[in-house]
Amino acid sequence: MNLIAVVDASIKKEGLQDLTMKRTVSSVPFAGRYRLIDFVLSSLVNSGVNTVGVFPCYPLASLLDHIGVGKSWDLDRRKNGLYFLPVTQRDGGISSVGAFAGFEEHLQFFTKSSQPYVIVTNSFVVTQLDYKDMLEKHIKSGADFTEAVSNGVQLKTYILSKDLLVELLQTYLDKQVVSVEDVVNLKKSPYTFNEYEYEGYFAVIDSIQSYFEASLDLLNEDKREQLFLANRPIFTKVKDEPPTRYVSGSHVERALIANGSTIMGTVTDSLISRGVYIKKGARVENCIIMQKSTVEENCDLAYVIADKEVYIGEGVVLHGTPERPIVLRKGASVSKEDLR
Amino acid sequence: MNNKVVAMLLAGGQGSRLKSLTYTIAKPALPFGGKYRIIDFPLSNCTNSGIETVGVLTQYQPHVLHSYIGLGTPWDLDRRHGGVTMLPPFAEIDGNKWYAGTASAIYQNITFLQSCDPEYVLILSGDHIYKMDYEVLVDYHKEHDADVTISVLEVPWEEASRFGVINVDDQMKVLEFDEKPENPKSNLASMGVYVFTWKKLKEYLEADNLIEESSHDFGKDILPAMMENGEKMIAYPFKGYWKDVGTVDSFWEANMDLLDLNSGLNLHDSGWRIYSSNPQLPPQVINRTGNVQSSMVNEGCVISGEVTKSIIFQKVVVEENAQISESVIMSGATVHKGAKLHRAIVPPGFEVPEGFEIIDQQDKVVLLTDEEVEKWKERGEQ
Repeated sequence: MNLIAVVDASIKKEGLQDLTMKRTVSSVPFAGRYRLIDFVLSSLVNSGVNTVGVFPCYPLASLLDHIGVGKSWDLDRRKNGLYFLPVTQRDGGISSVGAFAGFEEHLQFFTKSSQPYVIVTNSFVVTQLDYKDMLEKHIKSGADFTEAVSNGVQLKTYILSKDLLVELLQTYLDKQVVSVEDVVNLKKSPYTFNEYEYEGYFAVIDSIQSYFEASLDLLNEDKREQLFLANRPIFTKVKDEPPTRYVSGSHVERALIANGSTIMGTVTDSLISRGVYIKKGARVENCIIMQKSTVEENCDLAYVIADKEVYIGEGVVLHGTPERPIVLRKGASVSKEDLR
Repeated sequence: MNNKVVAMLLAGGQGSRLKSLTYTIAKPALPFGGKYRIIDFPLSNCTNSGIETVGVLTQYQPHVLHSYIGLGTPWDLDRRHGGVTMLPPFAEIDGNKWYAGTASAIYQNITFLQSCDPEYVLILSGDHIYKMDYEVLVDYHKEHDADVTISVLEVPWEEASRFGVINVDDQMKVLEFDEKPENPKSNLASMGVYVFTWKKLKEYLEADNLIEESSHDFGKDILPAMMENGEKMIAYPFKGYWKDVGTVDSFWEANMDLLDLNSGLNLHDSGWRIYSSNPQLPPQVINRTGNVQSSMVNEGCVISGEVTKSIIFQKVVVEENAQISESVIMSGATVHKGAKLHRAIVPPGFEVPEGFEIIDQQDKVVLLTDEEVEKWKERGEQ
């Protein structure tokens, strides 16, 4: 395919702070068994893109551990494949997608590739974009930039020619622009712009509120069927978890549950990640419980987001609201005594 | 463990008593436990025991096994040194040679074994469900300075006559073999897991190959010959869950054992993980009308009916008002609205029609086939 991709995973979202103390936005867990970056990587490989540069930000460990050499996406290749391209951390940083200052540090990634087009995208917008189709429309339009939009919402995904990108990397300071997103938003002359209308699933994850809504939205069959397409599977790091075990006395209604969990209590309208323990008599409603968390006996949780490895002690009652879910940070431990 | 141990995994068996479950796949490839295939257990035991060189001997319907095991990646057996090697029968200058028995399968791969240059050879079977640390077994073999060590399991006395029974002295030295004895003198059953000192094994394999009337079988020929010659044979007492899933009933039982927290077979033990290929599927969905109790459910399932005491493989769809109990539903099967299944085994991809019920079941375990569906249709027309 005559397209290389850049996943700008360096964007920070203030609103997601509780979930990004020890990880980047791109490695925030989503939909039970995935990280946000899985969706863009999967869409790219499902569209036939086999050269992907990931621009991460710090802290890197969680993202590196998750992506590795790209094996889960068949991006561990001799020719092309996955490139991990960390950039110097700058104070303040740039919060728009496709920052030239970062790309500049890896100019060779662009100049050495033989493909004539570049897709610049991000990991906080979850889509099932068909980049191949987008490229075809881009070429047809003859425009310099094509931007993906859905019902007027910007998906922060752009296609341009590699030559144009390299030219911008050499002149962006003079032109007073900072990023691909910036150029497109300014409709900077002398360039021409085209929009690609996308109709499938999308969710912009930029706050706890939007994260919570998009997550619970997946309990709706129509949403789920838009995101989990049989011919465009979402790939993620393999964990070898056994099937989930439902113990006698469990009650589960309308839930999305990943493997390796043990359900003894009651779960309704919730998302449960891998390796979670819901003990006897516990009630979990409208919650997101992430990997390896434990909900002890007789807890009562509603509108709670429990990050990875959270321990919720026996009998704890926590009720958030749909607008303001309670977030328990990674590794937190909550007991009845704490709440008094 | 050093790489002087090579495991040879016998995976050529048909498992004819499993009926239509093994018409097109070898028994070791049989799906088990909602996610696994039987061969995952010995392969994962190798990984967890630090055995890095494994030969897999295939013969009956090998294609699924070969593509499933591939380079051995799920078991960390895709290695530069050692790793997994698939060993189907092959043609030689003096003709084609099928594996006539368990021993001949190993004999015909002597060249492979010599290239590995092992000190010990571990003979495993691809038919059994168990978790075992082979490193402990090999250490035991070394400590006893044995020529062969046979792993044995205490079975209930009334069942002993179904097994190859091993009689031992108080030092665990093997005194006698009894293949399926009428009146067993011991309740120690051979698990079909052996450690041989390679030099000895080679000697006996070569000798056995020259005996025309030999059935070239470990239990029937090699071990008795070693016994006769007074080689040092030791029994290793294995404690833990072990099951030969040779029949439809025992296959069903072993699956049900997974739901019994006291059965000794725990897949949720992260200290001894069973590895398997991982199809990339979304999480399972339990819908508003669904209800799951005392069951195991894998990824990619959509459950809108009632499931109790059952094992549900990946990508199974259970529609509204369907009722499933004490059953095993294999990957990609669909149980349509209102169907009732009790003690059923549903093969991969099978469509259980709307309103289906098993005819004349009593308490038997029923493997669903097109004939069962026909029977039900005919009953409906009467």
